[in-house]
Amino acid sequence: MKVSYYPGCSLEGTAGSYDASVRHVCRTLGVDLHETPEWACCGSSPALKMNRLLSASLAAQNLRMVEQQGRSDVVAPCPFCFRRLKSAQDEMKNDPVFKAKVEEVIEAPVRGDVNVHNLLGFIHGEVGIGAVAERVKKPLSGLRLIPYYGCYVVKPANVTRFDDPENPTSLDDLLRGVGAEVLDWDLKTECCGAGLSLSKTDMVSDLCGRITREAEYQQADAIVVVCQLCQANLDMRQGGIQRLDKRTTQIPIVYFTQVLGLAFGISPKELGLDRHIVAPLRVLKQKGFA
Amino acid sequence: MFRLTGDPAEKHFLTQVIRESGQNLLECLQCGKCSGGCPVASKETGGPRKLVAEILSGMKIQAMSNPLWWYCVSCGTCMTRCPVEINMYAVATVLCEMAEKEDIKPGEPDIHLFEKLFLKSVEKYGRVKELRTVATYNLLTMQPWKDLDKGLVLMLRGAVSPLEVFTGWKKNPTISRIFARAKVPGHGE
Repeated sequence: MKVSYYPGCSLEGTAGSYDASVRHVCRTLGVDLHETPEWACCGSSPALKMNRLLSASLAAQNLRMVEQQGRSDVVAPCPFCFRRLKSAQDEMKNDPVFKAKVEEVIEAPVRGDVNVHNLLGFIHGEVGIGAVAERVKKPLSGLRLIPYYGCYVVKPANVTRFDDPENPTSLDDLLRGVGAEVLDWDLKTECCGAGLSLSKTDMVSDLCGRITREAEYQQADAIVVVCQLCQANLDMRQGGIQRLDKRTTQIPIVYFTQVLGLAFGISPKELGLDRHIVAPLRVLKQKGFA
Repeated sequence: MFRLTGDPAEKHFLTQVIRESGQNLLECLQCGKCSGGCPVASKETGGPRKLVAEILSGMKIQAMSNPLWWYCVSCGTCMTRCPVEINMYAVATVLCEMAEKEDIKPGEPDIHLFEKLFLKSVEKYGRVKELRTVATYNLLTMQPWKDLDKGLVLMLRGAVSPLEVFTGWKKNPTISRIFARAKVPGHGE
């Protein structure tokens, strides 16, 4: 299976462990990732908020590169990149005048017909749980994982058209497929505060606190995420929350690709599990998975 | 409360927001499901329901100075739960574009500063350089030590490299050109 791979800015920056684990897991699953040539930022939430035309044009520029690469499918691990690429295709399809404007800005035509996947949806839907389960060398039995989807991968539903926006289950399925014990909760798609982490830190700590407290209450060994912004916020803001709560424990925040990789027998170091702030290795060693 | 007084300026503001956002706010039921689920709804911001009420009432000054749309992280929860599917982040974009065009000072300067620095990095290099953007933001808001402890841990663990400062300075003229062309004349900086 050959697809275009659009990693996005964070994965070549602070979320290097997401990128590393994505590449390892896809190699194991026989998915051939071809990086989108000369990919650029999708503009993320700042462009989306400040200038609609700019936001769509940046997405269109990347879609054009995928089209030129000759790939019919593009996979984005970052949920916001995924949502922007997908939404820009809809925006252009629904409004030919807007599409013409975008093409004028990027000075090139864009077909807007590639299949845009988020990585979770791609592994769950295209690769399939069966194929994932087949590759498992070390079933994660006894590891209590709580799946956290965040907003952007499922919401708004008419843009993402992926899973259920209030109670998604694709990540639950995958984790169960590699033998883990999957916990259920109400906060699967509650917001972590996203891009307000620096400018409104207290609000983000509040939102993250709600999530980590509930996960600890359920005695999860780790929160499993699909988004590098969720990972960064939940990981970085926990120290502050812990001081506020006068607690002694913190909960590791790991990427779903790190969990799959672990079950496939890839070493924790190669998956970047030693690079998080709240170290996941202690609990993994305790339970015999690292 | 939501009836217009008849001043054409009020009506103009409402129709402009509806037209440019593509969101028919006249369908709003004021049910409040948006505010119930909004992660940034607070005493201070009030929530999306209040913002829609202000726009419906033609209260442009109040709506433009409402901090809510600056806080909006475009999570899409409001739209997902709204019985008439109003997308509030599309409304936030329109208000933001209006504020920029009319030179209205950002109600939340910190949020605005971060977003501007983010885009500046993309405009220059084609990709956002996270560490540099964060460092610049912390310097400009006079809190240079903020999150430094976490940054150091991440560096020690090899998650981020201080050497990043020396790489990735290559300009991306293609993306800079897209930025220049996407800015409507008289729009932006």
